[in-house]
Amino acid sequence: MREQGRGDRLTALLRRGPLLAVLVLYTLYTTLPFLWVGAMSLRTTAEISADHYGLPSPAHWGKFRAAWVDSNFAGYFWNSTVVVVSAVAIVTVLGAMAAHALARYRFPGNRLIYFVLFSSIIFPPQIVLLSLFQILVNYDLYNTRTGLVLVYVSLQLPLTVFILEAFFARIPQDLFEAARIDGYTDFQIFLRIVVPVGMPAIVTTVILNFVHLWNEYLFAVVLVSDEDLRTLPVGIQRFMGDYFQDIGMIATGVMIAVIPVIVVYAFFSEKLIQGMTAGAVK
Amino acid sequence: MATVQLQDVCKRYGGAGGLAAVQDVSLTVADGEFMVLLGPSGCGKSTTLRMIAGLESISDGRLAIDGRPMNAVPAKDRDIAMVFQSYALYPHMTVADNLSFGLRRRGTPRAEIERRVAATAEMLGLTEYLARRPAALSGGQRQRVALGRAIVREPKVFLFDEPLSNLDAALRVATRNELTRLHRRLGATMIYVTHDQVEAMTMGSRICVMNRGRIAQVGAPLEVYRNPADTFVARFLGSPPMNLLPARLRRAAGGSVALVAGAELPLTRWSDAALEGVAEASFGIRPEEMLLLPPDAAPQPAIAGTVASVEPLGAETLLLVDTAGGEVTARLHRDTAARPGDAVRLGIPSAAAYLFGPDGRAIEADRPAAGAALN
Repeated sequence: MREQGRGDRLTALLRRGPLLAVLVLYTLYTTLPFLWVGAMSLRTTAEISADHYGLPSPAHWGKFRAAWVDSNFAGYFWNSTVVVVSAVAIVTVLGAMAAHALARYRFPGNRLIYFVLFSSIIFPPQIVLLSLFQILVNYDLYNTRTGLVLVYVSLQLPLTVFILEAFFARIPQDLFEAARIDGYTDFQIFLRIVVPVGMPAIVTTVILNFVHLWNEYLFAVVLVSDEDLRTLPVGIQRFMGDYFQDIGMIATGVMIAVIPVIVVYAFFSEKLIQGMTAGAVK
Repeated sequence: MATVQLQDVCKRYGGAGGLAAVQDVSLTVADGEFMVLLGPSGCGKSTTLRMIAGLESISDGRLAIDGRPMNAVPAKDRDIAMVFQSYALYPHMTVADNLSFGLRRRGTPRAEIERRVAATAEMLGLTEYLARRPAALSGGQRQRVALGRAIVREPKVFLFDEPLSNLDAALRVATRNELTRLHRRLGATMIYVTHDQVEAMTMGSRICVMNRGRIAQVGAPLEVYRNPADTFVARFLGSPPMNLLPARLRRAAGGSVALVAGAELPLTRWSDAALEGVAEASFGIRPEEMLLLPPDAAPQPAIAGTVASVEPLGAETLLLVDTAGGEVTARLHRDTAARPGDAVRLGIPSAAAYLFGPDGRAIEADRPAAGAALN
């Protein structure tokens, strides 16, 4: 019996071994660079030049204060927060409403609108950069946080609608009809049935959009030039000169920038799991 | 409680010339009646129910609840409650919230909501589950919550859309009885859609059999079973369905006879006048009325054939027999020694025979069918 038990364990290990190996390798592949940047954020550029992979000894915690106060990271952080939170909020509300309408109501042109929205996902965003720039200039939105928010909303809306529409379409029609008989209006049904039931998908889009926009660089650098309006990814660029890169401070800036992403992910992924386990649709 | 009246109600999809899902349905459901809409998939029964609920518009005709026209009244103002096949419980709410969701919308006072929810939960044995979410309930419990959500509203009319379809066989029987008791207790008007004839036969005060968007027959369950209006109803009600064999009719000395599967069967239920001008018909006999005759049986009306298969079900045995007129099924209330390939004779009691004309309509008899197996 004992022999057989050992054999079973060996078979299980052999079966799971390759999977474990892949997972370990992938975890190292994603974690090590992050830990490396984390270590560099506590070291000076001179120390990093002397030993690329050394540990922070001593740890220069003062670099975070220096970046925050002396290099205007507080301002960049505020700009990023205002722009990204506004854009994600608008995208989520508009996207959920549009997805609900497309998933639930039969009206002429429903699939055409869906197709046009969906097709915009396949174009690289660089294509619209110049025209967007011109539009923002024409409407006095160039170099404003409002302009950047509007651009971010338009960039993220198609994917958001695409993800939410697929989820909302799976909510059984019976739920809507039961709510209609219970006396609720279409908008109340959206708020009290669709939003709570669709919360896992909504949270997924919030995380995706937040992470993507928080790290967005291309549109932020082209559409905002005022130092006081720059977002974090553009602010980090300050430490890159033509002839000298302050790699230590870049690492510190990156760590400051990444903290909200981790917080948002940790908070919402908890909600995401809660939402998923709260009850299947049926 | 209320009466529900449908008058020439039609439902067409895709405009005036579009596909007709329901055609000229006229039906009155009396106050406190349990009416079952029965029929195969696509016969229009669910569409009819949804039109009563206000979930589908009515293309033509008139719907009234308690005499008040309802065609243009939205679902929420019809004072109806509906139990769905999928239960349609709100997955993010507790059982208590599911029960009170409709009452809260209607502005019912909080104390009254609590009283009604508690009473309904008590009635359905849900009190200990009030704080749970639907995902944490079994299929039967979810079904009871769906039922409770309708009861708590105290509506004029209850509508059920195949509410037992997702339950396993044992639970279905138990819930069926529960629903029947509930109907007696509440005395409410209930309209129940099903494709399951056992549900229809056991639960309905009356049943309305539908076929291809039209009403085929309305009546008390046994009345419809014993006097089917046409071949569709005859075959749809009853399991196994009624045997139908092609027959040629002719006058004989003692009255009319039918030539069926090479045998001459006397037609004692019909007078000569009733069969005037009818030369060909479908001869119907229910499986439970057929008798497996022993070899030494006295001469009597019977058809001969070869046993195709024997299906012992414990309480009864189904015998499939190939005859000259086609395959017939006999339902025997005992075991049989017959084996596939055996030549057998199946006795046909004249009093239990049915005749249907070439258009499929029943040829009205002068004497009622025996219904021996039902007595």
